[in-house]
Amino acid sequence: MSDGHELTLPELRERIEVAGITIAENRLGMVRKLLSDALVHVRARDARVLKTVEPAVRFAPETRDE
Amino acid sequence: MSEAIAYATIRELGARYRARQLSPVEVTRALLARIEKLDPALHAFVTLTADRALADARAAEDALRRGDGRPLLGIPVAHKDIYLTRGIRTTGGSALLADWVPDEDATCVRRWQAAGTILLGKLITHEFALGIQFPGHRFPPARNPWNRDHIPGGSSSGSGAALAAGLVTGATGSDTGGSIRGPAAFCGIAGLKPTYGRSSRAGVLTLSWTLDHTGPLARTVEDCAYLMQPLAGHDPGDPASSRAPVGDYVAALSRDVRGLKVGVPRNYFFEGVDPEVERAFEEAMATLRRLGAEVRDVAIPSLARTHSFLLIMLAEAYAYHEGDLRAHPELYGDVLRERLQAGALVTGAEYVQAQRVRSEICAETAEVLRAVDVLATPTTPKPATPFALAHDPEFGFPRSNMPPFNITGLPALALPCGFSASGLPLSLQLAGRPFEEATVLRAGHAYEQATTWHTRRPPV
Repeated sequence: MSDGHELTLPELRERIEVAGITIAENRLGMVRKLLSDALVHVRARDARVLKTVEPAVRFAPETRDE
Repeated sequence: MSEAIAYATIRELGARYRARQLSPVEVTRALLARIEKLDPALHAFVTLTADRALADARAAEDALRRGDGRPLLGIPVAHKDIYLTRGIRTTGGSALLADWVPDEDATCVRRWQAAGTILLGKLITHEFALGIQFPGHRFPPARNPWNRDHIPGGSSSGSGAALAAGLVTGATGSDTGGSIRGPAAFCGIAGLKPTYGRSSRAGVLTLSWTLDHTGPLARTVEDCAYLMQPLAGHDPGDPASSRAPVGDYVAALSRDVRGLKVGVPRNYFFEGVDPEVERAFEEAMATLRRLGAEVRDVAIPSLARTHSFLLIMLAEAYAYHEGDLRAHPELYGDVLRERLQAGALVTGAEYVQAQRVRSEICAETAEVLRAVDVLATPTTPKPATPFALAHDPEFGFPRSNMPPFNITGLPALALPCGFSASGLPLSLQLAGRPFEEATVLRAGHAYEQATTWHTRRPPV
């Protein structure tokens, strides 16, 4: 994992190997940009202060479908 | 066939049917002829169901003779080709499903059928609602009727093109990151992405479970209201389907917008916006003010992180496609395959963090919507993209003004608000509180009635 917010090319290659998929060498730049653009906003945040996704389970009275 | 019939509204068709000035069979025959003439250049349809359409039209005529008053009776529609249709092939715009004939209808298909509509056929979609068809693909891409060198938007590309060209009166679309509103914007028509859970996804091919929405496209806001009515309501077939009460969307249009509070989020939505788009938007705000709305700026800072929604969409899309991707990679378009594979590279922790960012955006947007009734933004930062640019494999995923309302699940409407100097449509986006489709439609209808953009026709 790089220290910065960008997904590096070695990091991308590592992920591809772990995932067991094949992406053409000349397309790695496009895939890296796609993921980097999306990841930058997540990596720039302090994960400890982000709001949670709770409640994961919610109990509410429901009418049963007939 | 006159242009007046091809571009008639739902209200106009219903009135002429009931005055015995026009019959559903006449309209259906005329539209089938128009499709035969125009669609070879537009590629909006992937499957035409002429026999089914004429059978539906005859049934509508019988019902009209019996005095049936359903507003959608005899209204010609078509479905985006990710909606399952019993006995009619459903391709998903993909070579993988090129010959697949489902044995059931999607809930939305069934509901429009029960409302008395006429099914003209299936409309091309970007491959699995994500990958634009490149040259050489099994299914050619739809063209924009305003300028065939430009894309009609996606992924509901056929829906946008068919409506703008006067080939259908209503169409379904699906919207994961803007796929109803984008084609509406680029084709100069209206499109409503309802609240998450308002319209069923049962029987619609999945792109991303937590972001997918279904909804209507039409040429006017009023037509969207008519078409939305039967789609709204609980469906046990969709786990996300809501039991919230359904309003009367058409009746709501009769109220004006005096005192309606309109918020303009100045951050995010205006970054990189084309000057023509910005000018048209500001003129639209001036029109809403003249109509009595109170327009003011608001701030939703967390929207700066909107692009993280791609982590959610790509991971969920890969989860859906993984088996087929591994078994039949050659049946996916090259660029779609790469986009889906990118989803395999999102870690579990990143997916969760993206959902946590999402919850921040939801909370901030909800807070702003306590102070204003609707949010207004340009639907897209620029007019329709040229094919030459969209077909560049490096084009990627440009930033967009539409995903904030997939992230938050809020209802959002796109409608025409002008034209570029080159003659391409420009669009206004209005979004509202959860399940307040009626308010969003009312604001859009009031604006539409005060302008004439929706009456312009492309040079087909």
